[in-house]
Amino acid sequence: MDTVIRLGLTLSQIGAVMVAVLLTVALLTLLERKVLGWMQDRMGPMEVGPYGVLQPVADGLKLFFKEDIIPAGANKFMFSMAPILSLVPALIGFAVIPFGPDWTVDVGGVDFKPFVITDINIGVLYILAFASIGAYGIILGGWSSNSKYSLLGGLRSAAQLISYELNVGLSIVGVLLLSSSLSLVTITNAQAGGFWNWYFFAWGSFPQAIAFVVFIISSVAETNRTPFDLPEAESELVAGFFTEYSGMRFAFFFLAEYGNMILVSCVATVLFFGGWHAPVEILQGPESLHWLTGMFWFTFKVYGFLFLFFWIRATLPRLRYDQLMRFGWKVLLPIALGNIVLTSIFAYIFP
Amino acid sequence: MHPFLEPIVAKFPEAVITAEQDPVRGDLWLQVKADCWRVLAKFLHDDSRLALDHITDICSADYPDDQDRFEVIYQLLSLSHGTRLRIKARVSEEESEIETISDIWRGANFLEREVYDLMGIRFIGHPDLRRILMPDDYEEGHPLRKDFPAEGRGWRSRFDFLPKLDEPVGEWSEAEVPDDQRHQFMADDRPGDKKRTTEMLLNMGPQHPSTHGVLRVVLELDGERVSKAMPDLGYLHRGVEKLAEGLTYMQVLPHTDRLDYVCAMTNNYAYVRAVEKLIGMTVPERAEYVRTIIAEVQRIVGHLFWLGTQALDIGAMTVFFWTFREREVLLDLFEKLCGARLTLNYYRIGGVDADLTPEIISTLREFFKTFPDHIREYDTLLQKNRIWLARTKGVAVISGEDAINFGLTGPVLRGSGVAYDIRKLEPYGVYDRVEWEVPLGKDGDTYDRYWVRMEEMWQSVRIIEQCLDQLPEGPILAVDAQVIPPPKPEVMRDMQSLIHHFIIFTQGFKPPKGETYCGTEVPKGELGFFLISDGSSRPYRLKIRSPSFIHMGAFDYMARGYLISDICTIFGTYDIVMGECDR
Repeated sequence: MDTVIRLGLTLSQIGAVMVAVLLTVALLTLLERKVLGWMQDRMGPMEVGPYGVLQPVADGLKLFFKEDIIPAGANKFMFSMAPILSLVPALIGFAVIPFGPDWTVDVGGVDFKPFVITDINIGVLYILAFASIGAYGIILGGWSSNSKYSLLGGLRSAAQLISYELNVGLSIVGVLLLSSSLSLVTITNAQAGGFWNWYFFAWGSFPQAIAFVVFIISSVAETNRTPFDLPEAESELVAGFFTEYSGMRFAFFFLAEYGNMILVSCVATVLFFGGWHAPVEILQGPESLHWLTGMFWFTFKVYGFLFLFFWIRATLPRLRYDQLMRFGWKVLLPIALGNIVLTSIFAYIFP
Repeated sequence: MHPFLEPIVAKFPEAVITAEQDPVRGDLWLQVKADCWRVLAKFLHDDSRLALDHITDICSADYPDDQDRFEVIYQLLSLSHGTRLRIKARVSEEESEIETISDIWRGANFLEREVYDLMGIRFIGHPDLRRILMPDDYEEGHPLRKDFPAEGRGWRSRFDFLPKLDEPVGEWSEAEVPDDQRHQFMADDRPGDKKRTTEMLLNMGPQHPSTHGVLRVVLELDGERVSKAMPDLGYLHRGVEKLAEGLTYMQVLPHTDRLDYVCAMTNNYAYVRAVEKLIGMTVPERAEYVRTIIAEVQRIVGHLFWLGTQALDIGAMTVFFWTFREREVLLDLFEKLCGARLTLNYYRIGGVDADLTPEIISTLREFFKTFPDHIREYDTLLQKNRIWLARTKGVAVISGEDAINFGLTGPVLRGSGVAYDIRKLEPYGVYDRVEWEVPLGKDGDTYDRYWVRMEEMWQSVRIIEQCLDQLPEGPILAVDAQVIPPPKPEVMRDMQSLIHHFIIFTQGFKPPKGETYCGTEVPKGELGFFLISDGSSRPYRLKIRSPSFIHMGAFDYMARGYLISDICTIFGTYDIVMGECDR
């Protein structure tokens, strides 16, 4: 009986998170165009619905009914697998993200944490591991399309993901040292009390601001966003690895990219900005309302990061392939390593 | 004899047939024997008294009734002396060949190919003599010959090389490019380096988001590094030069709009200047001012367009929308001025079509009040942006010497530090009556060319503001009953005017027999028109020297060793427009 209840609870939790994530993706497609539009002195989409708010629906319908083309000479199996391979890891990472307070409720004799699907003790490693699997989707998609532009896009992304994943991993180490845990729930709980306890500021210990900058830059690269959007550089490689994709398969890649954006924003929120905690205790409200204020602050921070992504896209030109590599290995990597050394020293002196 | 020509005649008395200066237009020209041409060319390039280091154009003309049917015409320029020289050599139909000069002036490479393609004159020793504007397998002859009908031979649907609509689509072949055809776009196979046999051939264009139109470049890639880049032109070839031979001088004008459709005003200007030079016409003072103002406004429009697309090629999308916002204001101004926004057809032989109204002048002044802020706004995004600097500094470097040798002009040449601007060298309009400077780059890289163009916008603002201050009153169209249609009210009242009107519009005016070259500084470089008149009302030959075409000649040289991303940067830095490049 316990197993059935647990299964039911977990499945409904997964369903809720998936719906929330996919709705956010739909919202993001609209928001991105609106935000870019405002920054570029134009209106953005205005035709579908009032102020274009129904644009995501129209886009979704269009992608759904579009002809699905598999190019001649493509490896059909790989070609169909690639979008799935890149979408699944993007969504699966949300399993360990705590969206709200660390409550445990007793439902029919089963301990149930309503705001995190599963609190595994290697949460950070889990996310990193699945993020690297996402790269396979991109590489295989590029390779199996039988197009040189796709191939170049796929190869670029392989090199890029390997170099920048390293930096993502290393920039997190500082936080792990301070919290002595890999569980995202524990890390969030350790940042309670006020914004000075967030690892970005880390009062009384070594602030992880530098690590945060490295993390954000590397995550922009991980998610193939401007200025690191070389795998899909539209002015060079037409559309990069998904040049030959159309219809739902294209939509899968699209969902994966935006899913990844949301995921790294969530991770940044949890690791550096205190997760669901409010900046000061008063704003958190009474204990019974923590679930509401917690969700609010979490969403607020995540959307802040998403806005940052759009902002960067509107501002910066694209890096070149060799510059990207040089920047990753010669600039970010030493900074991330230096941060680990300093954090370790501080953590040793002020335990 | 002009002193400039003396050393040539003294050195090659038997090669030079005629050495003269056009008494009316001042053009220097030589008629030389074709078989001595190469030796002479080397002398012209190397001798310090001549130093004709810049190849402006190569053109050909067909005289079917003459014994030596074809004439190859070279336009050379000495940058140090500021002198132009035209050299003409005749070749007969039977052995229509002349020695190449593409190793003396590398810019001659593409120009000679064009002459071969359109006129069928072979250049002995040319490294890569293939068709350039027409398709590779075009077998209908050479279109610019006089015996080739202007409407073309056959119908498009009958050409074998074009796929037919009712035919089933061909089978897909396993290898995308068969091995035996793999290198057909390459001028030569490099000697076998065993390690380097796996270059990838990437076909960029004609449909590609950043090739600025229907340009195709075949890239030979070693990883992402370009080891060879072969531009394949002609996808937008419309045969404007051939068409012009069937039109009167006035009717050619709208066709010039469609050359560089981003900067139609300056194309008009270049053409009407050439015709005015041919017929020896002077333009009223106010018209000169208006022409200069509008040409500079067009330069700003062109440079804004360039800045937007260059930034977009490098991945900065916001600049594109911001520059188009300002461009829009100026296009509205053009609309108020002449009713059109893109293909403007505003300049007239002998003046301009419509006068600047006080409203337009005040709009213009209003625009210049906010324009500096807008330029600074672009600078905040680009000027100090580390990524922008990294993407432009040291990319596509060309030294001043090479740039001259390739015949480059405009901001591309000035970015390499060569102070060649026709507005200073051979001032036209009222450029000699206002104060302005020619901005020069130092390193000849993409950043310098970017900087030069940004500075040119400032200079254009300076020129326009001074012109607006000095703008005199007066007519905007010259009065010449033989050439310029009389004003409409007079045509309605006056019999003689009606007759002139009728003759000009039915037959066109007849310029005297002669030929002339006239270059104009347009936003992209030197746009030259070479006109041969046989005394009839239609040009016997019209050659367009388009900067984009010549710049593409240096593409391979500038692209080698850079990455794919830089290819897009080079497209942007040339500021090419295919309508002008392919004509």
